[in-house]
Amino acid sequence: MTGEKDTIVHIDNITKRFGNVVAVDRLDMKIVAGEFVTFLGPSGCGKSTTLRMLGGFETPDEGRIVLDGVDVTRQPPNRRDVNMVFQDYALFPHMSVGQNVSFGLELKGQSRPEIERRMTELLDFLQLSGFRDRTPDQLSGGQRQRVALARALAPDPKLLLLDEPLGALDAKLRGQVQIELKDIQKRTGKTFFFVTHDQEEALTMSDRIVVMNAGRVEQAGTPEDLYFRPESRFVAEFIGETNLINGTVRGIDDDRVVIDWNGLDIRGSGHGHRPGEGDNVTASLRLENVVCHPKKPSRENAIEGRIVSKLFKGSRTSLDIRVGEKEDTVIRAYMDAGNAAQISDDQLWISWEPERLTVLRD
Amino acid sequence: MTRNTRILMSVIYWAFIVYLFVPLALMVTMGFKDSKFIGFPIRSWTLDWYTAVIQDTEVLSVFGYSMTIAISTTILSLIIGTWIAVFLGPNKFRGKAIIFALACLPAVIPGIISAIALRIFARLIDIEPGMFAIILGHTVHNVPFVALVVMARLSTQPKSHIEAARDLGADSIVAFFRVTLPYLKPALIGAGIFCMLLSFDDFVRAFFLGGYQPTLPVLIFAKLRSGMSPEINAISTIVLIMTAILGLWAERSMRRLNKGS
Amino acid sequence: MTFWGALLHNGTYQAVASALFKTQRRQFLILASLPLFWIFFANLGPIVEMFWIGFLDSYPPKVGHEPQFTLANWAAFFQDQVFIVPFFRTLAFSFIFTAITLLITYPVAYFLAKHVKRKNQLLFLLLLLIPFWVGEIVRTYAIMILLGNNGAVNLALKSLGLIERPIPFMYTGFSLGVGIIYLTALYMLLPLYSALEKLPDNYLEAAADLGAGAWTRFRRITLPLSKEGIASGCTLVFLISTGYYATPVLLGGPRSTVFAETIAGFFHVAGDQWPMGAAFSSIMLIATLGVTGLFLKLMGRDGKGMMR
Repeated sequence: MTGEKDTIVHIDNITKRFGNVVAVDRLDMKIVAGEFVTFLGPSGCGKSTTLRMLGGFETPDEGRIVLDGVDVTRQPPNRRDVNMVFQDYALFPHMSVGQNVSFGLELKGQSRPEIERRMTELLDFLQLSGFRDRTPDQLSGGQRQRVALARALAPDPKLLLLDEPLGALDAKLRGQVQIELKDIQKRTGKTFFFVTHDQEEALTMSDRIVVMNAGRVEQAGTPEDLYFRPESRFVAEFIGETNLINGTVRGIDDDRVVIDWNGLDIRGSGHGHRPGEGDNVTASLRLENVVCHPKKPSRENAIEGRIVSKLFKGSRTSLDIRVGEKEDTVIRAYMDAGNAAQISDDQLWISWEPERLTVLRD
Repeated sequence: MTRNTRILMSVIYWAFIVYLFVPLALMVTMGFKDSKFIGFPIRSWTLDWYTAVIQDTEVLSVFGYSMTIAISTTILSLIIGTWIAVFLGPNKFRGKAIIFALACLPAVIPGIISAIALRIFARLIDIEPGMFAIILGHTVHNVPFVALVVMARLSTQPKSHIEAARDLGADSIVAFFRVTLPYLKPALIGAGIFCMLLSFDDFVRAFFLGGYQPTLPVLIFAKLRSGMSPEINAISTIVLIMTAILGLWAERSMRRLNKGS
Repeated sequence: MTFWGALLHNGTYQAVASALFKTQRRQFLILASLPLFWIFFANLGPIVEMFWIGFLDSYPPKVGHEPQFTLANWAAFFQDQVFIVPFFRTLAFSFIFTAITLLITYPVAYFLAKHVKRKNQLLFLLLLLIPFWVGEIVRTYAIMILLGNNGAVNLALKSLGLIERPIPFMYTGFSLGVGIIYLTALYMLLPLYSALEKLPDNYLEAAADLGAGAWTRFRRITLPLSKEGIASGCTLVFLISTGYYATPVLLGGPRSTVFAETIAGFFHVAGDQWPMGAAFSSIMLIATLGVTGLFLKLMGRDGKGMMR
């Protein structure tokens, strides 16, 4: 029973097909009130379809959507307490900013003074007061995004849907808007359902990330979980850059998994997953978790290697390091640019915390 | 493209412009001739023909009659044409191509045949020749133009606009009136003026569907059959100026379609 | 409350709206109702009725006589030269006028689309459009003034000393052609212009780069890629030019009588001959649509999207 009360949306085992294509496959998920949850995945993974089903623009073929205890599966969009920020913002071009924000309030049947009060409040809140009488085509991208947000927040929805709302912004602005958006979510206490294909966006803003692939959930968890403890190869590769290491399990030593990697013994962690001895496994090692040493360190997982290539990337340098005898055993690592410059010799040693080498489940 | 062909083509363009404008310019000029006899040379000039036309109660009443028909036709055509566009534009169904072709049919049927068919049809549904018959005929002819213009505009409206309206609490009717209709406005103004011109200028339908009261083109036709006279030039010139103004206005509002928003 | 807010919360409105939009299907049917009614009633109705009347021996119905089915009206067409000659003359005229219009307007459209600067194109196009807003009758009258015995052309030729007596342009196929082309040129020009405007310049540059001369470029690149425009333009001009009535009456003569005049005769001159007029109109409709259908087929199009 605990936590049940806080569930604002229950996506109850929904499936959606378009012709022969299964867009969303038996998705089952609870969203907690006040949560910033992000659905992340490549295009066509079913994240947008899920969002559209929550908004009422698509009807699931199977399953139910329960919003705050009420089954809304077959309710049209205008009968749900759910509002949406569209990818292209969909601001009405013939209405001013004020009229756009008032639109939902008006249709809710609120009185004029009430509409006026709420609209002014929202414009103030989103720093749009000066733009009230402008039309959307007189606004910058960032301003439009805020108007769309104000308009969707105005009717006080139980759930706010955001469909890649930062896609139209340039890279520089995007970072700033991410912070703003997270801040607004915190201050309003609204439940945000955010959809994106941009992993950085997801990592920055979300309380919880749901990674989708081919209509199914690959993994759901906090940004840290997904980044450092991916469960599948897909998640490990989709979020951030990583080294994938293929090897055979030699044994389990306490919490550590010992892997034979081309004749080298290395140690990683299953994070609760315990593969059997002799299994072929893949493990993920983030670039920044690879530590480089000029001399042999007295640590676990210390391996000698040779730098194959060095790429200067501004604040840091990425190194490709060949280890062991075989040609294809290359590990990529990040180093601070300053430290990298000190390594004069091509020969060096690398190591990592066993915690950081995550043995994947598939 | 060589220099010579370029020059040749610009010559053809300007010659074509001359072909278009000279007859009209001559017609306008002849309206100021101080003689009953149409033709060159013109020895003296007068405004008498214009003052006569403005005082001619018959011409004025015919003008009003034509205007009434044009405005009624325009309103009806806009409503029906827009409805057809909204029906045919976004929806997909079996036989849509045939319905679309049938919807456009009146625009390509030769004028005389359309007029005859409507004359017979008016008899069948018991409409006497006269204003209502002409309005019906003109509306049938104009609806395809409205439908095509509105469909073109409708196809540029992002689907998200309607979804946003629905999301914010509008049902399909409210979404149409609050979001789609304002978006269509420039197309509707353009198509509306175009309808007025088509109706006001039309001869063949007005001729076969009309009763005793003539429309302006029918009146000019009747006057022409009994002989050319500068009075006709004066009437025609007034009509020409009016249509040119309306046409430019229509063109302006249609051009706004191409701009974003 | 605002108007729309009040409307949405009005009980009667809610009841009506929820009844109307209960299912997607019902909503679709309501949306389809007026368009389908209009298309079948107003667009198709008159044509079907016209065909039907063509098979009756008398119409409008007279007291004491029930209209009988007959093929006589259709047969009459094939039995009298008075009918057949104007019929084929109309088709021939329209065909010739269409061809001439194409030849005249193609360079104009090409010049406009390819040689005029993009920002000036609107202005140049507008210049062409203005005369076309003027009605059929007024423009026909303008041609009468141009070509009359005391008209501008004869005056000019006389003052140049090229002729002694005025050339009788009027009331001939020539004057009719000048008039019809004057009326229909726009319907050719606009499709041609929009087809040529879409043609990217770099196609021609690529062809030139590959060694194609001006004529080859035109024949191999420009012409095939403007086929759409040619097809739509010719279709429109052909169909529209067969349908003029006032212009042939005013500009044509006894030797250039067109079928529109023949048809009109049944409705104006000779009392009760509607069935024959209806049958003749049907024949003309079949012929014109048949010719254009064949033409579009030859151009490699299925007639779909003929309007665009």
